[in-house]
Amino acid sequence: MTAVARTGMREGFVSCDACGLLSRPAGAEEPGECPRCGEELEFRRRDAIQRTWALVAAAAICYLPANILPVMRTTTLTSEAPDTIISGVVYLYMSGSWYLALILLIASVMIPLAKLAALVFLLVTVQRGSDRNNRERARLYRVLEIIGRWSMVDVFVATFVVALIQLRPLMSVAPEPGVLFFSAVVILTIFAAESFDPRLIWDSSQGKQERDD
Amino acid sequence: MTENADLANVPEATHVPKKRARVPVVWIIPIVAALVGAGIVVQQYLNEGPTIRISFRTAEGIEPGKTFIKYKDVDIGKVTKVVLSKDFSKVIVTAKMEKHAQGLLVDDSRFWTVKPRVTLSGVSGLGTLLSGNYIGVEPGKSGKSHRDFAGLEVPPPITGGMSGREFTLRASTLGSLGIGSPIYYRRLNVGQVIGYALAPDGTSFDVRIFLDTPYDGYVTSDTRFWESSGIRATMGAGGLSLETESVLSILIGGIRFETPPSATAGIPAPEKSVFTLFDNRDAAMAPPVAESERYVLYFQESLRGLSVGAPVTLLGLPIGEVTEISLDYVPETQGVRTRVEVMTFQYRVHRQLGKTDVIAAKAMSREDRKKFMQRLVEEKGLRAQLRTGSLISGQLYVALDYFPDTPKARIDWAKEPPQFPVVPGKMENIELQLKSILAKLEKIPVEEIGNDLRKTLETLDNTLQSADRTLTRVDEETLPEAKKTLEDLRRAIAAAERVLSNTDNTLLGPDAPAQQELRDALQEIARSARAIRLLADTLERNPESLLRGKTKETP
Repeated sequence: MTAVARTGMREGFVSCDACGLLSRPAGAEEPGECPRCGEELEFRRRDAIQRTWALVAAAAICYLPANILPVMRTTTLTSEAPDTIISGVVYLYMSGSWYLALILLIASVMIPLAKLAALVFLLVTVQRGSDRNNRERARLYRVLEIIGRWSMVDVFVATFVVALIQLRPLMSVAPEPGVLFFSAVVILTIFAAESFDPRLIWDSSQGKQERDD
Repeated sequence: MTENADLANVPEATHVPKKRARVPVVWIIPIVAALVGAGIVVQQYLNEGPTIRISFRTAEGIEPGKTFIKYKDVDIGKVTKVVLSKDFSKVIVTAKMEKHAQGLLVDDSRFWTVKPRVTLSGVSGLGTLLSGNYIGVEPGKSGKSHRDFAGLEVPPPITGGMSGREFTLRASTLGSLGIGSPIYYRRLNVGQVIGYALAPDGTSFDVRIFLDTPYDGYVTSDTRFWESSGIRATMGAGGLSLETESVLSILIGGIRFETPPSATAGIPAPEKSVFTLFDNRDAAMAPPVAESERYVLYFQESLRGLSVGAPVTLLGLPIGEVTEISLDYVPETQGVRTRVEVMTFQYRVHRQLGKTDVIAAKAMSREDRKKFMQRLVEEKGLRAQLRTGSLISGQLYVALDYFPDTPKARIDWAKEPPQFPVVPGKMENIELQLKSILAKLEKIPVEEIGNDLRKTLETLDNTLQSADRTLTRVDEETLPEAKKTLEDLRRAIAAAERVLSNTDNTLLGPDAPAQQELRDALQEIARSARAIRLLADTLERNPESLLRGKTKETP
């Protein structure tokens, strides 16, 4: 419904992804390179939706084993116990550190999930050509980009623990396949967010307008 | 215009087929992710081992999630749950097994808890002090898969991984044997008792033993087993013999085995062969009756000190033993005589022979052996004789020895057992010698000696009397003279005394001149001493006077 459905592409301009310079494309097929910084120009990121979908799907697939499989195995003198992310959360909560449990739960379980959900939401709305809440969706995307890398903290901690706690035979920690999947989830969602082109949010209203035309 | 041109270009975009072409490339990522995920799921599913239940009397040391099931120290499962049985009499341990251990879970597999165990024969399971208890398993041989097991309370002494063979020993009593009792071969621990059971009729025990490879190969069909529990002391004609095993077997008993050297080099006995367990080595190593020779001996002397089992020696080397001592009724004389039955063992003779002779001796047939003995007796004078083995205990033994001077004799083969010629024992010889000494003593002319003695004494008496008379004469005539002499002597002494007292007066009296002179001399010395003291005093006060002479007295 917004009258502000004007986009650079529609107006025949192309903006540089790197330096933001607005320029006229060299041709309709190949917009050429940015006259200022030399970056290859694109009207929209190539295959943004397809790529994002693929990465989101991959991340979603990895999300399951990341949470089901143990991320690390703690061996002490008397026992040997594999730990999943959820069991870590439960353990922290049971041992009284509910705030740590909360941090772990949010950073490792909820944020990846939220990212996936947000990406799917953005993809679906863009594909459906929705033109509602454009600003909110744009803000959602920005949050997504910022927050994405922080999930790596989990992987970081696991790596540290594995490297540091090697006091055989008293205690040792070994990584388990879960941590691979978990880092895959984080990396894939970062890439997915990166491959998504937020400009598509605004294109949709244009597309709608075009269809309306 | 440009805007319109741009808009016109949009539908012409030729990117569409390119996009299509790129689709699969991008979608490879989720496909790979899906494949890996699926692979892991499949792997998990395939690795999913069976779940088993083991019942134990107690769950001591078994903790879900911490107790493992191990075979050859490899984790093959983990206890997941420990619950009480429905009637609360047992503990049901549920364990998740590894897939690869599936083959171990058969009908006759056995499970037990491994914990630190200290027994006389050793300490085991020390590792569990640190790692916690675990459940051990001995796989069965059955091919039938099984999921419910009854756990053992005591670990089985041997596990399937050990190679060796099992044998059964039939014993009349269990003695001090128990499960785990060691089995020694030449004092080397080569196996252990793994079980025992009373025979169904209750008359014997079947002791099951397990010998480790390669020692099981030493067991042939001729092998003898005997119990070597603790210390065995025997007091026989051979003296006190004390037989001990290692300290361990003194404490917990044990079994020894040996194959008699006389045995034919047999093939190793098959698995689970049954042997007799003897009480001691002698019983075990006693050869079959067929290999022994029996003789009967009729001694003239008392058999006191001879007992059944007393050794029979050939030239001092043991070759047999006394088997029976009895009295025989002799119809001819209507009296009784002692009868000693002995048994000599061929193998013991062999043992004493040199190596090359053994082979020859082994080849001897029974007839050959008879002839051999016959020749020894008839030509060399081999005889049986009772001898004292120990002077303290008075034990007797039978010695076969050469007595070339004895009258000819032969073995009476007609009797059964044949009669062996004897000679009187050494004690008998001593008696004879004593007798001859006595006879000689009897021959001594004691009476004549007595008469001579009496005469001599009479003469002596006369001599003494004359001596007496001489002395009386001395008394009467010599003594008065002596008295007179003494009185003269006394007078002489008195005179001497007087002379001496005079001398005293000149030398020692208060006015004696010698005394006076001495006193004067002493006074002179005292004066000189005083003068020296004065000089010393002066010098002390005026040392310079030594150089300058005496200073004038200051007023």
